Amino acid sequence: MNPFELAEPRTLKSALKLLDAGDESVRVFGGCTALMLMMKTGVFQPTRLISLRGIEARYSKVTSAGDGGLRIGALATLGALGRAAAVKKRAPVITDTLRTLSNVRVRNVATLGGHLAHGDPHMDLPPVLIALDAQVVTAATAGSRTLAVADLFTGYYETALARNELISEVLVPARTGRRSAYVKLTTRGADDWPTLGIAVSVVTDGKVLSDARFVISAATEKPLRLASVEAVLNGATVDDALLARAGEAAAAEAELVGDARGSAAYKTELLRVHAGRALRKALAA
Amino acid sequence: MATTLGKSNSGSAFGRSIPRVEARAKVTGKAEYVHNLRLPGMLYGKVFRSTVAHARIRGIDVSAARALPGVHAVYTAADIMRLVPDPHYGPAFHDQPVLAIDKVRHVGEPVALVLAADPHVAEAAAQMISADYEELPAVFDEIEAMTSKAVVHEVLKPAGTFPDLKHLKGKRDTNIALDFHLRRGDTQKAFAAADHVFEHTFRTQQVLHLPLEPFVTVADPTPNQLVIHTASQSPSFVRIEIARLLGWPENKVRVKVPYLGGGFGAKLYIKLEALVAIAALLAGRPVKISLTMEEQFYQITKHAATLRIKSGVSKDGKILARECEVWWNGGAYADIGPRVTQKSGFTAPGPYDIDHVAIDSYALYTNLPAAGALRGFGIPQLVWAYESHTDMIAKALNIDPLAMRRKNILKEGRPQATGTLMRDAGIEQVLERLAQRMQWEKTFDRGSGKLRRGRGIAIGFKASISPTTSVAIVNVSADGSVMVNCSTVDMGQGSDTAMAQIVAEALGVPVESVTLVHPDTDVTPYDMATLGSRSTFHMGHAVRLAAEDARDKLMKLAQEVGLSAETTSIPDIFRKKYGMQAGNIVGVGSFIPSYAPPDAQGQTDNATPFWMIGATGAEVEVDTETGEFKVARLVNLVDVGRPVNPAIVETQISGATLMQLGFTLTERMDFDAGQVTNASLADYKIPGIRDVPAVMENEAVDMVQQTGPFGAKGVGESGTFGVSPAIASAIDDAVGVRLTSLPLTAEAVYRGLRANAGKPLQD
Repeated sequence: MNPFELAEPRTLKSALKLLDAGDESVRVFGGCTALMLMMKTGVFQPTRLISLRGIEARYSKVTSAGDGGLRIGALATLGALGRAAAVKKRAPVITDTLRTLSNVRVRNVATLGGHLAHGDPHMDLPPVLIALDAQVVTAATAGSRTLAVADLFTGYYETALARNELISEVLVPARTGRRSAYVKLTTRGADDWPTLGIAVSVVTDGKVLSDARFVISAATEKPLRLASVEAVLNGATVDDALLARAGEAAAAEAELVGDARGSAAYKTELLRVHAGRALRKALAA
Repeated sequence: MATTLGKSNSGSAFGRSIPRVEARAKVTGKAEYVHNLRLPGMLYGKVFRSTVAHARIRGIDVSAARALPGVHAVYTAADIMRLVPDPHYGPAFHDQPVLAIDKVRHVGEPVALVLAADPHVAEAAAQMISADYEELPAVFDEIEAMTSKAVVHEVLKPAGTFPDLKHLKGKRDTNIALDFHLRRGDTQKAFAAADHVFEHTFRTQQVLHLPLEPFVTVADPTPNQLVIHTASQSPSFVRIEIARLLGWPENKVRVKVPYLGGGFGAKLYIKLEALVAIAALLAGRPVKISLTMEEQFYQITKHAATLRIKSGVSKDGKILARECEVWWNGGAYADIGPRVTQKSGFTAPGPYDIDHVAIDSYALYTNLPAAGALRGFGIPQLVWAYESHTDMIAKALNIDPLAMRRKNILKEGRPQATGTLMRDAGIEQVLERLAQRMQWEKTFDRGSGKLRRGRGIAIGFKASISPTTSVAIVNVSADGSVMVNCSTVDMGQGSDTAMAQIVAEALGVPVESVTLVHPDTDVTPYDMATLGSRSTFHMGHAVRLAAEDARDKLMKLAQEVGLSAETTSIPDIFRKKYGMQAGNIVGVGSFIPSYAPPDAQGQTDNATPFWMIGATGAEVEVDTETGEFKVARLVNLVDVGRPVNPAIVETQISGATLMQLGFTLTERMDFDAGQVTNASLADYKIPGIRDVPAVMENEAVDMVQQTGPFGAKGVGESGTFGVSPAIASAIDDAVGVRLTSLPLTAEAVYRGLRANAGKPLQD
């Protein structure tokens, strides 16, 4: 790894100012877990890095919002998120997802903002947050904006963020009547990025399903909602036939990519089977 | 520490689970490793590596790297050859150049070296080097290498040290580094007479050791000696080989080895040492090279192999004849591969009593990173094949897997394929105890619905590489404290503790009074290497003999000054002799077991000083909808003779088993034109804590190695033997899918399920 300059601003504002300089090789980091891997292999050779770890403490806070939802500072570590009582109470699917997300060493330094802004389709929380209708609040010198997590990802390692724009907060709405689950499937050992991620969130009155969100990740270039599955679920009552139909719809709609973790054909079979199981898991949650 | 040589201490040190002597230093971060070593004036080296698998080097442009401020020197083979005209090294073949000469033979091969006081400058400069290659056809597959037009080495260059390699000297245009053949009885005739003949082919993938401490070496050219600090399992070999390359006497090279952060067979023979030593001499300053985790993928690996087995069997399951053909993918340099081919090759038919046997085992050069010794020395590959084959035969004949093994098992006193009679080999004991712990004869819960359960057993055995030598010194100080000088390297296996226990037992002193002097070739005598589970037996005998020698000398000293050594404390004997706390008693021990080399048919009546036995029972649960499976239970049984330290023996069994679990389920080096595409811990998956089976049981059966030190023998590898085939058989037992290639993946199981259903998965 080559030497580089390290800037450690104390405020978000000064961090944004440093980004405004416009140098393409300057990057910000929260926990630096993903960037470090790229730097070690020489894929990324920065001249200057900006650490966000010293900015205002409020950007690391996890708080319960007045509307029954959550306000999560982008610099909250995944470890803190996994331990937060408010998260467990208001969005238990996030707590559950974090149990098997990477490992304790990574979770204790990696941040939610970095997890999202990296744009890596193998991350576990993006499909979950999309299924929960979560939003990100961004900051830039020009001002802030709010956009759906679903709109954050534009392609393989590509996001809607401008080069001088940072995620400052993540907003998770109240889960009134909603049940959610995430299934992380690994094929090369438990400690791996997912071969396929499936996030499901659905409103249920005990019988009929509505307002379903069905999101897949890891085997696609970005996390993807599958409209055909949601159409099968909405208005339906749960039985084995429905779960099978959901799986068939998912397998028919999704165009999955093969890699060292499995062929596209096999991943499609995993999706066909686990789509229904993910829904069962959500309803049991 | 006042102690006598009386019998009261006998039995107090050996066979006890005392804590490891280095445990506290390690967990408090105080243990010494080469990685922490910094010497005044030291330069850091960074290697520029080949990006192509096979090519002639037209030119190497180092001008930009040399011009970078802070760069001390950039060396290529031309510079190396100023000091060492023929800079080729290797334990079996002198085929590996210190830096590539004229040709590169695998991606990642060292081509040039940058030295700089700042490691970041060295790294930046290495990235500025470019090489111009004329690419040659490359060969990657071991079967293709048998006949391919692409030839990795134009001429074979066996080292002079092994008599059985002499006939290969000067052989041209072949990728077969060594072919080993064994013939016993008449297989053709027996096949013709057999009720059934079965033939299967198996594959194993290329994997690697990945010690958490990557390779690291420091060389320090002092006025009188070249001092090499290195993370090596074979300090004596390093000294001899570096002295040979330089044309120096052995005593001008000093090799020091502190603790190792894992070795597993990777850190044997010459790895970085020759390059670092020559660079330090050229630069006239200390030089250090520390590989990154990623660079380890190009240093040394474990053989991928193709194994074909054919058996003639009677209708009641008696194996009458067996033919084994094994092709070992040795990569671009032989390293110790040819020894794997022979020393492991002769056990290829398995621990079964078979009258007619033929073995052909080939070490092949390919354009992949070199393969060497890895925990089991080829045995796990062989057991994978012969135990899978055994169960496939049993299934075809509708015979229970345990019954099949009982019928054919190689019993005490019976001849193995080499003709050597089995002695102190607890094959039956291990098998029977495994059956008991698995409750094999009771009804097994086979699961229901989507989840199906299955179980499998597998047993393997290994000879100790022979003949090899260990020498040790036991030094008793005037206060009765004891130092043991031996070149066995404690790389995490607990040898310091084991040697202290053996010496304490032999001397009859408390184990707390014994300390180990770490390998330093100036003060610790010759040892062949820390490999192949040989240390407990060989070095165990050497330190025992040295301790007995010291004890005899102490007895004599006591007698000389008119005291009884039985009742007088050791310090009092010294005080009576020297009038004060002064003097030493130095005991010396040297051990080499008897051995008879095999004849042209591979036959010998003394193939090994001892046998290692390992067996595994596996229970798995398979999801019939997806092929996903989990290993619910692993039971591991070994014969280690009498355990020196039962707690350490248990961790050696579980460690070996989990390492092999990775090679069975998750680990695989992926290649694209010879380039490793997953050369990082992020993408090459070693098992994590969540991959450990829910239930794991490890046990050493009650055995004594009559010829071992206090009845002991080695344990480092035995836990690896049965893991892969036991799991594969359990999967077959659960869902009727027989996998013949490693690693065993959920996708492979799923594809098997679909194929069985007549609906193969279309890509």
